[in-house]
Amino acid sequence: MAEVIRVDSIGVEFSINQHYFHAVDDVSFHIHEGETLGLVGESGSGKSVTSLAIVRLLAKSARVTGTVMYKGRNLLDMTVQEMRQIRGGEISMIFQEPMTSLNPVYKIGAQISETLHLHQRLSKREAHDQVLGMLKKVGIARPEEIMNGYPYQLSGGMRQRVMIAIAMICNPSLLIADEPTTALDVTIQAQILRLMKELSRDYGTSVLLITHDLGVVAEMCDRVAVMYAGQIVEQGTVDDIFFATHHPYTQGLLKAIPKIDVKIKERLQPIDGNVPAITRMPKGCRFSSRCPYVMERCRSEAPAFVDIGERHYSRCWLSAAEGLEK
Amino acid sequence: MSEVLLEVVDLKKHFPIRGGFFHTVKGHVRAVDGISLEVYAGETLGVVGESGCGKSTFGRSILRLIEPTAGAVRFEGQNILQFTEAQMRVMRREMQIVFQDPYASLNPRYTIMQTLLEPLEVHGLHDLATRKQRVRALLQKVGLDPSYANRFPHEFSGGQRQRIGIARALILNPKLMILDEPVAALDVSIQSQIINLLEDLQQEFHLTYIFIAHDLSVVKHISNRVLVMYLGKMAELATSDELFAHPLHPYTQALLSAVPVPNPKIKREQAILQGDIPSPANPPTGCVFHTRCSFADDVCNREVPPWRSIQSDHMIACHHPQVASPSVPS
Repeated sequence: MAEVIRVDSIGVEFSINQHYFHAVDDVSFHIHEGETLGLVGESGSGKSVTSLAIVRLLAKSARVTGTVMYKGRNLLDMTVQEMRQIRGGEISMIFQEPMTSLNPVYKIGAQISETLHLHQRLSKREAHDQVLGMLKKVGIARPEEIMNGYPYQLSGGMRQRVMIAIAMICNPSLLIADEPTTALDVTIQAQILRLMKELSRDYGTSVLLITHDLGVVAEMCDRVAVMYAGQIVEQGTVDDIFFATHHPYTQGLLKAIPKIDVKIKERLQPIDGNVPAITRMPKGCRFSSRCPYVMERCRSEAPAFVDIGERHYSRCWLSAAEGLEK
Repeated sequence: MSEVLLEVVDLKKHFPIRGGFFHTVKGHVRAVDGISLEVYAGETLGVVGESGCGKSTFGRSILRLIEPTAGAVRFEGQNILQFTEAQMRVMRREMQIVFQDPYASLNPRYTIMQTLLEPLEVHGLHDLATRKQRVRALLQKVGLDPSYANRFPHEFSGGQRQRIGIARALILNPKLMILDEPVAALDVSIQSQIINLLEDLQQEFHLTYIFIAHDLSVVKHISNRVLVMYLGKMAELATSDELFAHPLHPYTQALLSAVPVPNPKIKREQAILQGDIPSPANPPTGCVFHTRCSFADDVCNREVPPWRSIQSDHMIACHHPQVASPSVPS
């Protein structure tokens, strides 16, 4: 399978009181055609910053390093005009809060066709038909009526459907979905996840799915990258991550969640402590301050991101066998 | 079964919708529409439902933070809805609440010590030295360093703030705690710390919890019994094990099957509900769920299903309870 995007060792630095701190550090991944990669992590782990760096939507004050190769070209070297052609046309995004992502004073139809006008030369009639077709595809009943309606008239789930319609209308190669269902109720979440799955299958779209919910990951993703404190700590297929978990942080996350599918009530095993502040990162491994298996070496030397099996990567001093045993 | 601590009888809260030239009442939002149940001493009753189902309004109506429209709330046999304000103030020592957003519920200009001393001052308990001692002891109990007492809320992380929120509710030694989405704003690794803390405190202080949440996995973990609400009404009430293993109400079944399970091996047939929750200002006739229910027929459209017992400890409001294969494999 061909690669759609390859992110190579990107770093993002923000300045706090004239000092630069790494919010994202040495993040690398790639996504194949039609594949869904999950980017999981807790708040502040750098998942959203990573995605914004890829499409260059970060403020100018942020320092971005590394390369983002898309169809043989580095997105980070493109001009503003070139980038505009990419965004919305080839790479599109959906955000968590569907209300704030839609313009409250424009009609739904106009907001969807805006993307079309920017990227394709179409007559009004053609654009109208395409928008109508897209609204039907995303499962909106009475699409004609909704096209002439405004965002406030729609429920949260419907708004997210409209956002998906905007993102998908130019048939992008990559869809970046940043917590697309976090603001929605579970029954609506199930509807939206199913829709995203169907669309990515029908259009062959690759998806970068950013989420904190391991249930959503298990249901949606082919491969997973787990982020902690600005770094990817483990990456592998969804089965690797859930059943051959290597990194102590990933293991901690999986143990910490209450499971709906177990009978016996066990005490939860939390990860002790808190995520370190960006200004006070531990010297060696960033997880060393909370890791139950911490060794002397972890506190002084940062581990590299190494392959511990077939394309299963982990950033930990424990060897492949040691990590899997824990 | 242990004694009944709280009895709620046909509790209703209808918010008036006003509008027009004379600001007349044009209708009502039936946020809570006839809830009756008993809460036993020492148990955890989970309350689940989607946003807008009235679960938070229910919690607040019990404490009279929102004045209920009708019904009765009996705490240890006394109907507190008939209490005067002064009586109610005394009563609130026994019933406390923890809110979702620990930052918004702490006064940013008060140190933690001031926040925790205030309830003791209001109720005129102990002298100052004893009060401070109590605060420090309690901070230790909820897993905070007592030397943090003179810091302000902004100096704490989300998880620590929720510990402070819990300490604030606990300082008066209440019997009943209403926990309104206490872990929804927290990251998973912190969420489990707080859930464990709540379980420990319940053991130690013999607390009774009403645990309101939308996260079914969390509710299943912590609750003895679970109430499922839909559009202000009770849909199903059963012990936690029973409800999650043998849900009978089609809504409960749909709700359970919608929860993504963190296990990629499980590929389930999901009963995905169509459409959105109807407006509580204009609820459907008959069974409020019939507009989204795949088993609905004429009866559901016409008649409100009675609240009935299917077996001991399993109540349901549905004309056509569905015995499904367990939606969650065990």
